[in-house]
Amino acid sequence: MPSFDAINYSLRPSKSIQRQIVFSGLRLLQRTLGLSNQVYVGFGSIWFTDFVMAHKLLGIDDMVSLEADDIGYKRAVFNSPYATIKVAHGYSYTELPKLYVDATLNGRPWVVWLDYDYELNESLRDDIRSVIENAPANSIFLVTFNGIDRRYGDGSARPERIRELLGSVVPDSLTKAQCKTPLLQASLADLTLDYMKSVAADRARPGGFVSGFRVLYRDGPHMITVGGVLPDKEHLSAAEEVLAAGEPYWPCFPATPIEAPHLTIREAALLQSQLPCSAPLTRAIVKTLGFDLEDSQIDAFARYYREYPAYAQILT
Amino acid sequence: MGQPEPRKAEANPTKNFFVRMITRDISLEDCILDLIDNSVDGAWRSEGSRPMGLEQNTDLSKYEISITASVKKFSIEDNCGGMTLDDAVNHAFSFGRRSDDAHDAYSIGVYGIGMKRAVFKLGKSIRIRSTYNGGSFAVPISVDKWLENDTPPWDFDIEEDEPLSAKGVNITVESLTSGATAAFGNPAFIQNLRRTISRDYSLHINRGLKIFLNESQIPGWQIEMLEGADFAPMRIEYADEVEGDHVSVEIIGGMVAPPPESADPDIVDEGEKRFGWYVVCNGRIVLAADKTELSGWGTDEWPQWHRQYSGFIGIVLFTAAKATALPLTTTKRSVDPSSEVFRRAKPRMREVTRKWIDYTNVRKQSLEEAKAAEGLARPVALTSVVRLAEVRLPRLAARSAQRVANVSYSVPLPKLKDLAKAFGNINMPYREVGLMSFNYSYDDKVGDE
Repeated sequence: MPSFDAINYSLRPSKSIQRQIVFSGLRLLQRTLGLSNQVYVGFGSIWFTDFVMAHKLLGIDDMVSLEADDIGYKRAVFNSPYATIKVAHGYSYTELPKLYVDATLNGRPWVVWLDYDYELNESLRDDIRSVIENAPANSIFLVTFNGIDRRYGDGSARPERIRELLGSVVPDSLTKAQCKTPLLQASLADLTLDYMKSVAADRARPGGFVSGFRVLYRDGPHMITVGGVLPDKEHLSAAEEVLAAGEPYWPCFPATPIEAPHLTIREAALLQSQLPCSAPLTRAIVKTLGFDLEDSQIDAFARYYREYPAYAQILT
Repeated sequence: MGQPEPRKAEANPTKNFFVRMITRDISLEDCILDLIDNSVDGAWRSEGSRPMGLEQNTDLSKYEISITASVKKFSIEDNCGGMTLDDAVNHAFSFGRRSDDAHDAYSIGVYGIGMKRAVFKLGKSIRIRSTYNGGSFAVPISVDKWLENDTPPWDFDIEEDEPLSAKGVNITVESLTSGATAAFGNPAFIQNLRRTISRDYSLHINRGLKIFLNESQIPGWQIEMLEGADFAPMRIEYADEVEGDHVSVEIIGGMVAPPPESADPDIVDEGEKRFGWYVVCNGRIVLAADKTELSGWGTDEWPQWHRQYSGFIGIVLFTAAKATALPLTTTKRSVDPSSEVFRRAKPRMREVTRKWIDYTNVRKQSLEEAKAAEGLARPVALTSVVRLAEVRLPRLAARSAQRVANVSYSVPLPKLKDLAKAFGNINMPYREVGLMSFNYSYDDKVGDE
């Protein structure tokens, strides 16, 4: 089933927060590395949410959306929000190689975000390798996949499955415990970043791969976003400096997974009216506002209230 | 008119040759192993330079080697006794050993090039420090500065230095070469280096030596042969000699794992990497899991390596007081195929390999019987393997098998993985998924007829 039939992208607060964090990182990189004339490559689906952000926040005009599904392709073309979006009909592994040799694109820095909804598997791994090996200098590469534990086999089979996917970078000492939720998602994120680094080193990219994005989030299933920059030598130290700066300057390496609570507009507005504040927002304070939430939900909201989306249904 | 002066061809070496040329003949990983070898030789010297066969129970647990490899800096530090000032002045920094230089007994330092070649391969700003029984000193090397002038003497300055925390050697290298920077920033390189150290120094680590890489201790690879039922590995020992120098040789060979279910070359099996022949020189594995002509595969009456032969490991250990008698190459990462002791060991190696090859051939005809016997064999540590002149393997009676049909088909990989998962093991070999699918539909559609 195509993902747009399975998921209504607009109703996932954690996903929305993750996307805003990622784009604030992309904007910071664009500014500090002085990147211009960028190209955006992604899976726009029929919603094009990330494409709209790439155009509005990063000012990127030329964008390519990859769509394999036949009906999805027609709907994507129909829903494409800007004149400069090209929808390529085919799987990523057939369409990406065409982009690498496209003379109008291949001399410019790309922002590639392969936002999958399925788990890390062989074809996804091969896409990662392909982008790291071929993306132009100063491209930024992000990949999202799910971290649902059972998708990686039974508990005892997972270390071997991950080794089969990511090869040498997986330590021999990877344990069954490290492959159980919630550690599994962190292990997958870290090892995928290691894999990206090692592909860039094997391919002798002059600036290698600098890790910069590691965002775990969930609206239901555990999801993982990882990525980084593929700088040329001239931009390497600037990229390293930005990406190693840590929070709050560099927001794309949050220490804990994003698990945003589902709040009504009224609850969110009331909570927001208490923020920012120097003392932590507590459950007792929330109770005085007239409702109640778990401590973890309050913490998550206080951390990401600036990115928290407001949803409303329009009845027509 | 006098005779003209006879002309002479200049044959002096250049520093550039040592810094830029011979460093190309060795991998970065092997350079690091070379530095570890020096530390191990130090520990061995401190223990009285005894032979390093499987029989000896030398305890190395008080020795530690710590390696740090990052994109900015490399260092290796040990507490293995240190290099003496006399060694530094007369031997350690000269390029190549002089023929009259004394050798440490049972070491594997032969050629007098390892440390220099290693540090030149690593970077340009080098500091070698040593604390030994008689004091402490340091040798700083700025490679660019040293290269400025080729005129002899090529000495390095030796400075007095603060003592290290223990008697030992500390080498730090900064201004790393681009190759070293790229490798140390590559997680796969670091993980593979751990694997190589774990394997190649397993005999030392299993005697207590501690080796750390980026602060994490490396466990020794445990080599275990399978023994029991009708299986027993061969273990023989004999004495040999090279130009008057005594070499003792031990050969062990047999099954470490049952042969694979399928010999399909498309299947990638990481475990297969460990099978094949190993050559050990004074305790250090110099050739690992070899499946090439070097150890004999594909030569004489010995077929080329095939996946069918998986499950076999053979180890030949050469031990000599004089390292020059060992079949080592300068990189210590291979054997010298022209070495006489090695050539003389090969017929014995071939014997045990041949028996294993025969077994895997017959096994195909009596698979169930073979698997039952293999299932009864139990792992035995390499040091506990008892002496036996010939490998023992089950005598399987080749049966006239029912006619069979081979089925081969392609399916999308994600679907195969999903089915394997549904069968209870996401890593199940493709062949087994196919067989289970066949049996499943056979039971469903045909049943017991």
